[in-house]
Amino acid sequence: MSQTALALPPGRYRFSNAVRSEVAKIATLRSTVITLGLTVVAGLLVTGLVTNAALGHSPGYYMGFDPTSEALTGLIVAALTGGVFGALLITAEYSSGTIRATLAAIPRRPVLLGAKTGVTAAVMLVFCELLSFVSFFLGEAILSGGGAPSASLGSPGALRAVVLTGLFIALMTLMSFGFGLIFRSTAAAIASFVAVVFVLPLVMHGISEPDVRYLPTQILTDSVMRTVRQGPGGVIHPLSPTVGILLMALYAAVAMGAGALLFLRRDA
Amino acid sequence: MITVHSLTKRYGATTAVDQLTFEVPPGVVTGFLGPNGSGKSTTMRMIMGLDIPESGTALIDGQVYSELAWPMRQVGGLLEAKAFHPTRTARNHLRCLALANDIPLRRVDEVLDLVGLTSVAGRRAGKFSLGMGQRLGIAAALLGDPGVLLFDEPVNGLDPEGIRWVRNLLRDLAAEGRTVLVSSHLISEMALTADRLVVIGRGRLIAETGVADFVARSGTAAVRLVTPDVAAFSAALAAEGASVGAGEDGSLTVEGLTAPQIGDLAARDRLRVHELVPILASLEDAFMELTQDEVEYRPSTNAGVAAGAKE
Ligand SMILES: Nc1ncnc2c1ncn2[C@@H]1O[C@H](COP(=O)(O)OP(=O)(O)OP(=O)(O)O)[C@@H](O)[C@H]1O
Ligand SMILES: [Mg+2]
Repeated sequence: MSQTALALPPGRYRFSNAVRSEVAKIATLRSTVITLGLTVVAGLLVTGLVTNAALGHSPGYYMGFDPTSEALTGLIVAALTGGVFGALLITAEYSSGTIRATLAAIPRRPVLLGAKTGVTAAVMLVFCELLSFVSFFLGEAILSGGGAPSASLGSPGALRAVVLTGLFIALMTLMSFGFGLIFRSTAAAIASFVAVVFVLPLVMHGISEPDVRYLPTQILTDSVMRTVRQGPGGVIHPLSPTVGILLMALYAAVAMGAGALLFLRRDA
Repeated sequence: MITVHSLTKRYGATTAVDQLTFEVPPGVVTGFLGPNGSGKSTTMRMIMGLDIPESGTALIDGQVYSELAWPMRQVGGLLEAKAFHPTRTARNHLRCLALANDIPLRRVDEVLDLVGLTSVAGRRAGKFSLGMGQRLGIAAALLGDPGVLLFDEPVNGLDPEGIRWVRNLLRDLAAEGRTVLVSSHLISEMALTADRLVVIGRGRLIAETGVADFVARSGTAAVRLVTPDVAAFSAALAAEGASVGAGEDGSLTVEGLTAPQIGDLAARDRLRVHELVPILASLEDAFMELTQDEVEYRPSTNAGVAAGAKE
């Protein structure tokens, strides 16, 4: 009946269309640019301050000193950013009502969810890998400039730590994205993320100290960022980096899986 | 063509849409009418695949929304609540949507121009007035140049000029052969815009007819009569079984006989007729009459409010 029906291009919309739309959405959201910008500034500032504070101590201080993890400290800021960013990318769609326009354009929900998840993870992965490398080089430059022990990418475990830190934070972002899918509310999703990442470790300390190593924060600082065994006072048996990453991937998968199940069935 | 068949949606204990069946044919404007909370918006969300029905189907040209090849190029929807992010500019909002369905980006500027938002296209949509937001929603609906359009209360927040513009837009879209379903609270607006009506109450279908039929079918059909021979005419009408009321301007309001019957009576009895006009129930009257048992949220009494206001 209508001539417009004839003007339809062949085939149907594809995953790549959904991806392009999601990339454009992230790029045109002011809060994305501001959040990532602030993360760079704050993250590098933290790395700068921490490595600077590690300068000029007596030789005893440098026993068990890990220049790699010192130089990656700023990435903890990025972990918090990932938590906010991951949640916001989905909850902002719900709070603003954009989700209805989005689903009207891409009604096949698995396609939309795949595109959104992929783009969120990819953006955060690239961002965190870059920040991780920059933070590492900045920290090592400060350490070696100040005469403290320092590392290079060729040092044992250093490259692995730098690369896995970025990957780990991308996984944390996905976990928060999963919370966003579950709660659809920014406040609830970010609160859950903060509870798991920052509050749970404190609680766990009081209940069962050794099990703290299974929590995301501890995996990040003690398994992923670390290249030198901690001295007494640290967590006694940190997980290996591989197990740590796999466990974080499992956490992200559980949150995402629950969120996805709800997203596929629920009214928008 | 939209085909809704036996559509049912519950929210907990509330049955928002109940076994609803109707069709929206192409080429005409179909008005979607019902009291507050009768399920219009819910039905439209289900047609667009946003809400998932308990049972029944809503098909667009024979397909469920989620299976459409190019949804935005086939269906345009303006829904009740706004659907854009407040910090994104109007142009960027439309661009993001265009990318999702491979719609040429020049179309973004075309629809912005069409709805009159070109001068504010670079402004954040969160700063828009209600009417501007509504125009942005209409622009999004038209972006893919779709053959099927759903508008949920499109004139909401628009000024008189905007209302007239929407009315003409809807009629033009239908005249181009598109399928147009539009819900509204403003019954008088529907009288000017719609050709067909789908009337619902408490989620159930009450009527699906042409606007003229709808008016003709419901309400009391009375005839206004002006005659100098009031007494004689009244007696003659009463003898024929009609009921006669006196109008304020000295006219008579006759119920129970049609205008032709009254004219014939006048000729037979040689009574003078100065005016003989059938009074059709307005669309509003017809609507009120049909839905009076179906209104969910009825104001208790106006008297209470008025009394309170005086104190
Ligand atoms: N998401 C929801 N959760 C719970 N109940 C809902 C939801 N959406 C709608 N309802 C209920 O379903 C019924 C129909 O609502 P709907 O918004 O479809 O009516 P409507 O005809 O669009 O009303 P209006 O003319 O006021 O816009 C109402 O009783 C409403 O309270
Ligand atoms: Mg409504």
